[in-house]
Amino acid sequence: MQRGAFLAVMAGSLIAAPAMAAAADSLEYAVKAAYLVKFIPFIDWPDAVFASASQPVTICILGQDPFAGRLEAQTGQKSGDRTVAVKHVASYDRADGCQVLFVGSSAVAGDALAAAAGAPVVTVTDSGVTPPGIISFVIAENHVRFDIDDAAAAADSIKISSKLLELAQVVRRRSPP
Amino acid sequence: MMASLARKEGWSLPVVAALIAAAVLLSAGVLMAFYEEQLYSAQQLKDVREEAQILAASVTAAIDFDDAGAVSEHLGALKVNPELQAGGVYDKAGRLMASFVQGNAVLPRGPLPEGAAYAGDHVDIVVPAIEQGARVGTVFLRASTEPEQRRLARYAGVILLVTMGALVILVLSLSQAALTGRARQLSAVNLQLHREMEERRKTEEALRQSSKMEAVGQLSGGIAHDFNNLIMIAKGNLRLLRKRLGPNAAQSANYIVSADEALDRAAALTQRILAFSRRQPLSPMPVRLSELVEGMGELIRHSVGEKVEIETRLPAIWWTRCDINQMENVVLNLAINARDAMPEGGRLVIETQDIIVKEAPPEMEDPVSDFIPGAYVALKVRDTGEGMSEAVRRRAVDPFFTTKPLGKGTGLGLSMTFGFVRQSNGYLTIESRPGAGTTISLYMPRYQEGTA
Repeated sequence: MQRGAFLAVMAGSLIAAPAMAAAADSLEYAVKAAYLVKFIPFIDWPDAVFASASQPVTICILGQDPFAGRLEAQTGQKSGDRTVAVKHVASYDRADGCQVLFVGSSAVAGDALAAAAGAPVVTVTDSGVTPPGIISFVIAENHVRFDIDDAAAAADSIKISSKLLELAQVVRRRSPP
Repeated sequence: MMASLARKEGWSLPVVAALIAAAVLLSAGVLMAFYEEQLYSAQQLKDVREEAQILAASVTAAIDFDDAGAVSEHLGALKVNPELQAGGVYDKAGRLMASFVQGNAVLPRGPLPEGAAYAGDHVDIVVPAIEQGARVGTVFLRASTEPEQRRLARYAGVILLVTMGALVILVLSLSQAALTGRARQLSAVNLQLHREMEERRKTEEALRQSSKMEAVGQLSGGIAHDFNNLIMIAKGNLRLLRKRLGPNAAQSANYIVSADEALDRAAALTQRILAFSRRQPLSPMPVRLSELVEGMGELIRHSVGEKVEIETRLPAIWWTRCDINQMENVVLNLAINARDAMPEGGRLVIETQDIIVKEAPPEMEDPVSDFIPGAYVALKVRDTGEGMSEAVRRRAVDPFFTTKPLGKGTGLGLSMTFGFVRQSNGYLTIESRPGAGTTISLYMPRYQEGTA
């Protein structure tokens, strides 16, 4: 009975959703775009990843781009010592030189994550996408939050600052060395 | 400097030294407290700043990702520090993300100037939160500085101790100075007391001597007087006996003459005793002692013999009034005494002198209180003989005291002289030291026509 009522409310909200969806989405993805850039200072890639100290950090967007150009707006912006570059890719390829790979849909997530496994690239999956990447956005209490799979990061020789881990909703810990 | 200060203010040196020591101690204490205070404030500021910096470093990610909960958690951890009145974390735009307030503090609105700012009872510290060189936000902490009274209370103990120490030094040195002054006073008083005791002792001895002479004089005088009468009766009866025997006396003449001579000697003895006891009948006449001595020159030379050189200095011209025969006896007696003191020969000086005496000469025998200052004619007889010890000198005028061998002297010569001089209102002094000769001086009052 209660469950039924709950579902009804949910259904109601889903019906009402399309009207507001555009505004809500735009805010959500603005935040997510900002976060993508903000992650960078808290992540340590292996030295070999960058050819020089001034080489930008490249964020690759796999498939469809939900940010509608907001991410590109951050291009050239400094994050730590490096500038940020944005690339659109159809599939993950090491040769693209991505340090961050954003996967926006479950359809391609499986293959992409499998391809990126072992490579020094931080995979970021959008909320609701499975399987989750090293960092996966979640929506909690109307706020954009994230989970971190530190074990996967460790497998890819990537270090994530404890400050960032601390902010994650859920952390899959790396096994102690 | 200390010495001059001490002189100027009339303080003793230890007091000034103690004052300076106390001042040094006090100022050292104040300086130390001030230094401690500075050190403490600096340390507190440093501690709070460090706390702010640690907070800033640890909340960068939380600020970045707008995670107010995480920021609040970090900030909350600082609440355990009671010094912190308030704390706040601001994001890049100066928006307050999380804060805590203890008591009634009010958080300022951002953006805030970095650094430390003192205000009243607290200090505000603002540090930037920086991640990878980029400023992501601001951390604000407000720490209470210790209130004046608490700070004072913290140093009150030290100040009290230092003040007490200074006071103790001061009191000790003051009392020490007082004691020193008191001791000086006491020793002065003690010295005075000793002097007075000595004086009193001398006076008592003189009094005793005087009253002894008085007693002996009265006693012997009384006896001598009666004795003289008895001798006169005996002599008269002897004369009657000789008359009665008439021509038959020739056989017994020797006995009678011997007895008569013995009675004469006894009479002479009683006469001397009477002289000492000042009871002899005197017939005083004005006389110049210089002329008297002058006229006795031959007699004296004859009496003292050839071994003794005689010198006379007779400048005195004042008159005195005394029994001339007795005075001649006295001079002769003194000359003979001098001779006896110089068995191997020597020098005898007889001297007269007109003199105004203001107070009794210290060596005056019998320094009685009735000494009258005034004009005197002095007659001094000085020898270069063996002199007398002090003990002997003191007893020299005692009747029957003699240092001559048994049968050689009667011990009445000087006492008779003394008695005569006193009876004539004069004084007698004896100066003598063993080996340094003896001077006997008679001070006879000056006689002027029309006075008694």
